[in-house]
Amino acid sequence: MTTATIDKSTTGSSTLQIATFHVDNLLLGLQIHQVQEINRHLEVTAVPHSPRVVRGVINLRGEVVTVVDMRQVLGLPTAELTKTSRNVVIHFGGELVGLMVDQIADILTIDANDIDPPPANISGVDGRFFKGVHTTKDEIVVILDVDEAFSVS
Amino acid sequence: MQFEDPELVAEFVVEANEHLRDIENQLLEIEASGADINVDLVNTVFRGVHSIKGAAGFLGLESLKLLAHSLEGVLNLMREGTLVPTSPIVDVMLRSADQLRGMVATIETSNEVDVSELAAALDAIAAGNEAPAPVQQREEFRESVAETNVASEQTTPAVDPIDVPSSEPIVESVPTAPVANTPNPASASKKGTPSASPSVSAETNIRVSVDVLDQLMNLAGELVLGRNQLLQVTSTPEHLGLDGVASHLDQVTSELQDAIMQTRMQPIGSVFGRFSRVVRDLSSQLSKKCDLVLEGQDVEVDKTISEAIGDPLTHLVRNSVDHGIELPADRVAVGKPDAGTLRLSARHQSGKVRIEISDDGAGIDAETLKAKAVSKGLITQEQALSMTEREAVRLIFHPGFSMAAAVTDVSGRGVGMDVVRSNIERLGGVVEIETTIGKGTAIHITLPLTLAIIPSLIVRCSDNRFAIPQVNIAELVRIRPAEIAARIGQVKNAEVLRLRGTLLPLVRLNDCLDMERLDDRLEALVDAEDAINIIVVETGKLRYGLVVDGLFDSEEIVVKPLGQHVKSCPCLSGATILGDGRVALILDVPGIATKSNLRQRQDDQQLAADGSNNDSHDSTEQQPVLLFTSHPEEQFAVPMPMVARIERVHRDQLDSVGGQELLQYRGASLPLMRLENLITAKPQQERERLFVIVFEAAGHEIGLIAPQLVDIRNVSAEFDSMTFGEEGVCGAQVIDDRTTRALDLLSLAHKSRPEWFAKNEPVISATAALNTPSPITPATKTILLAEDSTFFRRQVTSFLEDEGYRVVGCEDGRVAWHTLKSGHEDIDLLLTDIEMPNMNGLELSRHVKDDENLQHIPVIALTSLAGQEDERRGREAGVDDYQVKLDRANLLKAVLRFAPIGVCQSVGSTE
Repeated sequence: MTTATIDKSTTGSSTLQIATFHVDNLLLGLQIHQVQEINRHLEVTAVPHSPRVVRGVINLRGEVVTVVDMRQVLGLPTAELTKTSRNVVIHFGGELVGLMVDQIADILTIDANDIDPPPANISGVDGRFFKGVHTTKDEIVVILDVDEAFSVS
Repeated sequence: MQFEDPELVAEFVVEANEHLRDIENQLLEIEASGADINVDLVNTVFRGVHSIKGAAGFLGLESLKLLAHSLEGVLNLMREGTLVPTSPIVDVMLRSADQLRGMVATIETSNEVDVSELAAALDAIAAGNEAPAPVQQREEFRESVAETNVASEQTTPAVDPIDVPSSEPIVESVPTAPVANTPNPASASKKGTPSASPSVSAETNIRVSVDVLDQLMNLAGELVLGRNQLLQVTSTPEHLGLDGVASHLDQVTSELQDAIMQTRMQPIGSVFGRFSRVVRDLSSQLSKKCDLVLEGQDVEVDKTISEAIGDPLTHLVRNSVDHGIELPADRVAVGKPDAGTLRLSARHQSGKVRIEISDDGAGIDAETLKAKAVSKGLITQEQALSMTEREAVRLIFHPGFSMAAAVTDVSGRGVGMDVVRSNIERLGGVVEIETTIGKGTAIHITLPLTLAIIPSLIVRCSDNRFAIPQVNIAELVRIRPAEIAARIGQVKNAEVLRLRGTLLPLVRLNDCLDMERLDDRLEALVDAEDAINIIVVETGKLRYGLVVDGLFDSEEIVVKPLGQHVKSCPCLSGATILGDGRVALILDVPGIATKSNLRQRQDDQQLAADGSNNDSHDSTEQQPVLLFTSHPEEQFAVPMPMVARIERVHRDQLDSVGGQELLQYRGASLPLMRLENLITAKPQQERERLFVIVFEAAGHEIGLIAPQLVDIRNVSAEFDSMTFGEEGVCGAQVIDDRTTRALDLLSLAHKSRPEWFAKNEPVISATAALNTPSPITPATKTILLAEDSTFFRRQVTSFLEDEGYRVVGCEDGRVAWHTLKSGHEDIDLLLTDIEMPNMNGLELSRHVKDDENLQHIPVIALTSLAGQEDERRGREAGVDDYQVKLDRANLLKAVLRFAPIGVCQSVGSTE
């Protein structure tokens, strides 16, 4: 698995591409290489006795992929599927995991130096799931710490 | 150690493993040929070791180079013919090969391994100094071998026992290990790397023949072609020719799947290969002589199976050598050749692979096992008394039987057998054991060919679909609303199903999976009849009924792993993708039982079930039959124990080839029979869907078309055999106000496919044989069958004759006794019913055992339901064995044991 560490000490020239998406009133971001694809495949098969964050499993071209509800991961109230709901399939722990998000946003190219350490709490969500924040003109992008957010406890 | 060029090193590792892969067997072969050196073979090994040396030197792997160099020196002398390979020399060479392999496996640290001792030993051999003398006095080490087993057993249950041949305690307990002029070579391997356990490393790469690859390429090409055609067709407004393209694609995809499966198949010889070394090393440690005979090495199994079966097999092989084969002196004393024979064979059998490990050793003493089980508190004294020999032998699979104390005993053949069994069962396999004291032991393992594709039944629970592996399914029961009250009851707050006189615990899948039930409106819509579907599943000894909301078809599903977040769900074992592209989860039958606390409940219910059994016991004999109709006016019955399985098929799946009807399914074709072609019956009505009753006759599978199934029922075994006297029909009785004819499946098969039976003895009518005692060919054995029910007599006679026995039938004990006394017949075996008029089976047995001319005849008692109390009474009357009537497979096994004949070598295959 390839979670690149976002390090402030990296030289100024390094840029990062961040795929961003909305969950509740948060704008979350992931490094683009962690993302395999984004689709609308959210018709899941429920898995009995699975952890609460798991929405179910889907067939992604012959592979059975677990779909996780991002809202549940962050401890936010679940929402119904909407027209804008998307499944962000990421590489995690040697397999693919789908993240159900509310809406997809832009891909940003930013300088690694422009990422600041996360505050302890963002919009009522525990800061340990976040690697850092990046502030644009009018928004705050929260970079997700995949290992922390999806670890199987 | 850091490598300058890791890629080069990785390449070296692959290549070195290639060279070392067969070295063990090659060295063993060199040893076997002795002075008659096979120069080509030695050259092959030499070249391999030489290239390892060269590359290791280049990469700076000094230890590897040093050891390879010394080994090469010895091989060089051998190919020049100046050194004769002897066991002690080959010993050192084998150890060196192990060491090389270990170092290659942990290449980074290989330079830290001290190989000087082994290298010195090899150099000494090359220098002409006599190699280490063979170790004598092995007897005393037996104990320590055994202890090693136990020790490793307790720490790691799934121990890979291969390391034991070179395991340290043996060596350490020999402070004076006689080694000529070199340090103890074994200690080097001990200090060495994990090489001591050359367990077949779980390779992630696979060797595929170029032919298969070519075929795959072709098929991929066809697939592309098909796609292009499809695109073309769909671009036309009318979609002209879509059917043709679809069927082409269908065919190509099936072939592609087959070809890809083929790449996963490996000859089982790759597993068997390692046992030469295991047997050689272990028998020499134990001062035993043992020849290993391998059969069916080219039988192909899926890679997953061949990887998983290695350890259990090693365990069994080691057990056979350690506990089965006697010391040479003991063998000679009982008139056996001094060298024991261990036979390992594999063969395909009706879509499964069957592996047999048999030895001609001491066998297992059932009484000793029982005594030990009692002393360990696994069973009670009463249970021990009422246990049959077969049950007692199965005790070795009991967990807890393999603990330390078991080993010190004479027949401590139980080291980790429960682990072996559970490993095999996890693969969907079955393990059985047969033993005869003084003659040897045979262990049969039946395994599926692949774990990747499993036949499963798809069921509905709420609005979800789940797959249940077919191996776990015993039968399906559908309960109509009117019957619910009568069939489903409560025992201690748990639901149970009354099924043919037993009580089966029920689990509602909805509750177990914590799924919400569909609301009533939808429920009513889906199943207007509101019948209850119950799937009777079994896992090990546990049987229970699973209540589901609906049944779909049975499908061959491809098993997919579940992701890490959902892996630990207790009731699931994986997932699969169904025809519509959606995911269905595979249910884990043992997991559901655990989740529902069934194991505990089972005991309570057993008591209740026993009670209810006894009530029905004194009524007439019962026989479970499958009822079906062909023409709506005619009902037929087939004895359940004869039925292998029931398939539900679509009419389109039936083919007619050369006047013979065949069923195409699961990539094979099954010959079919139609009742109206064989007996006087009205032609069946054409239906879209029909059922096929599959059973086995003369070693072949055959199906009988049964358009509509009615029920499975316990009925009285009293069939009137007079009214419908016809071959293929063994009697009639009225069931549910309908005259029902009971079919004799074997004679139907005989009528339909006489060529299958040609090789067997001609079928002699039992009654004819009784009146005219005919000269008996020595190959045939004669069995006297005392049975008052004509129905049972015909059934049993027919399948015994099917196996080549001659059967003399008698309608009660008194007739049987007169036949025996008269001496007209030379009887080899007596099969008797218990409940009979005039003279019952126990009396008959007692008479036979009291008569000095007849007491040598073994007696097998037949019952419809073997209870322990019956068995105890039987044993008092001299009965040698108990068998359940019409449990064809086990009865034939028992008959074969007491009256072996040549023709039925394949009897083990009948289950």
